[in-house]
Amino acid sequence: MSDAAIAVRPVRAAPRGGGLTGLLLVFLPVGLLAWLILYPILRAVIRTLVVQTGTGPALSLETYRFFFTDGYSLANLWLTLWVTALCAVLLLAVCLPIALYLRFAKSRIAALVQGLALFPMFVPSVILAYALIRTLGPNGAVDLVLNAAGLPKIASPYLTPAGPVIGLVWDNIPLTVLMLVAGLGNVSDNAVEAARDAGARPFALLRHIILPQIGNALLVVLSFTVLSIFSAFTLPYVLGPASPEMMGPFMQRTFTDVQDPRMAITQAVITFAICAGFGAFYVRSIARNREASR
Amino acid sequence: MSRRTDWTGILLAAVLGLVIVVPLVVVAIWAFAEVWRYPSVLPQEFGLRFWNATLARPDVWAAMSMSLRLSVTVTALSALICLPAAYAFARLDFPGRNWLFLSFLASHAFPKFGLLVAIAGIFLNLGLISTFWGVVLIQLVGTLMMMIWIPVAAFQSVDRRMEEAARDAGAGPVRVFWSISLPQAAPTIFAALMLSFVGTFYETEGAWLIGAPEIRTMPVLMITFINNQIVVQYGAVLSVLLWVPSFFALLFTRRLVGSQSFAKGFGV
Repeated sequence: MSDAAIAVRPVRAAPRGGGLTGLLLVFLPVGLLAWLILYPILRAVIRTLVVQTGTGPALSLETYRFFFTDGYSLANLWLTLWVTALCAVLLLAVCLPIALYLRFAKSRIAALVQGLALFPMFVPSVILAYALIRTLGPNGAVDLVLNAAGLPKIASPYLTPAGPVIGLVWDNIPLTVLMLVAGLGNVSDNAVEAARDAGARPFALLRHIILPQIGNALLVVLSFTVLSIFSAFTLPYVLGPASPEMMGPFMQRTFTDVQDPRMAITQAVITFAICAGFGAFYVRSIARNREASR
Repeated sequence: MSRRTDWTGILLAAVLGLVIVVPLVVVAIWAFAEVWRYPSVLPQEFGLRFWNATLARPDVWAAMSMSLRLSVTVTALSALICLPAAYAFARLDFPGRNWLFLSFLASHAFPKFGLLVAIAGIFLNLGLISTFWGVVLIQLVGTLMMMIWIPVAAFQSVDRRMEEAARDAGAGPVRVFWSISLPQAAPTIFAALMLSFVGTFYETEGAWLIGAPEIRTMPVLMITFINNQIVVQYGAVLSVLLWVPSFFALLFTRRLVGSQSFAKGFGV
């Protein structure tokens, strides 16, 4: 596949009648998209804002007022914001060096590094959660090794906020590396060689030549990370503390255990609102990319 | 090109190896450990006793059959719905084509679990909570984007000259599609099918939120094993079993995932 494969290229010699056939062929998936993504979001917003009173529907901010005055809800929101920010920073710190290495390396070891960095994509979150408990949990593998070496045990991250952070970073390494490597593909070898010949040190090279050119890719990575981590469920649910909890498990508990769908949907709308900026940026970036490659 | 030893690469490979491979190796060891008491670094006794014990549990078989039924249904439906649409997006010209295609890529622009909760609110009224088809629908949404954009790329990379040659030789449009276009696009489409099968098999959040308590898939069963802290080895054996589909996905889709166009789908 070519690099621009993802863009819909203009159709040459479109067959006659393609208009109707095309619309018919895409009708089902588009309908599904409208019914299961657009409609639920619109309905969630309306359902949480409008209440039925004796005199007809009326605007009500009651559930939102509750969320933003309830200490427990706010603590959960803060924890989620913190974990998301920390994961984003850690992911960039871990993945940028790997991506830079993969972009410029020419040795055979690069294939091994790429394989290892993409491997977590093929490890489902539940298995990862279990593996991290057995490795970093109380009396886990790390404790066994430390104990055998005569060292004290670690403070286990299991059931603390550090648990989901470790798990989410681990889980998001492959896509982050892939996206950064794709972004680094825009940096020309010539520019880098020229700067090197002019005596630029690696750090100056990174700051003045490479970073300015991958600014957009960095922002896309950031948006994508925020969108996927902000409402993560499995890893925070299994590895994280019971209280405060991240928004994912909080919404699930409110919906299933507390059986308060209206409140759960309010929480969901709040996550949409917080992520809206990142989502909009992400969409804009996809749209611009497709314009550029057309 | 220098012939120096690639120390950066060796260092990165070593660190990644330690961080990524070791936790999985620990699980594999647990799966074959019969007795492993603290503080022994390795199990005191190895054996297959817990494989027999795990495989004798009816809930494991029920969950396995549920997961397979869901994955097959979702992948088949997804292929039926998405492949014709992917062909249309790649090759036909119709009003709103770019705009509609963009809306598929944009479906990733929402925090996923929040979206699931919003959908669950609607399913609650429709009586789809805790039903097979409710879970099918929610998992179908998860496969839509991948089953559209990977096949679109596949159909676009088909060699037009061969199609034109076939048409000049008198083949009809269906014949051209069946004998020329489809075989060329098939390997990439197969990879997309594989990814959506495996993605559905491991899908946890929709199954947990929409399926509970009636629909129990393998990942959902795994979470209950972890939470209830029953015999450690059950979870370990289940992890090794659960990883088998992923292993095949790894074999068949590595090239696609490593390619530049895969990252392009995420807007880089």
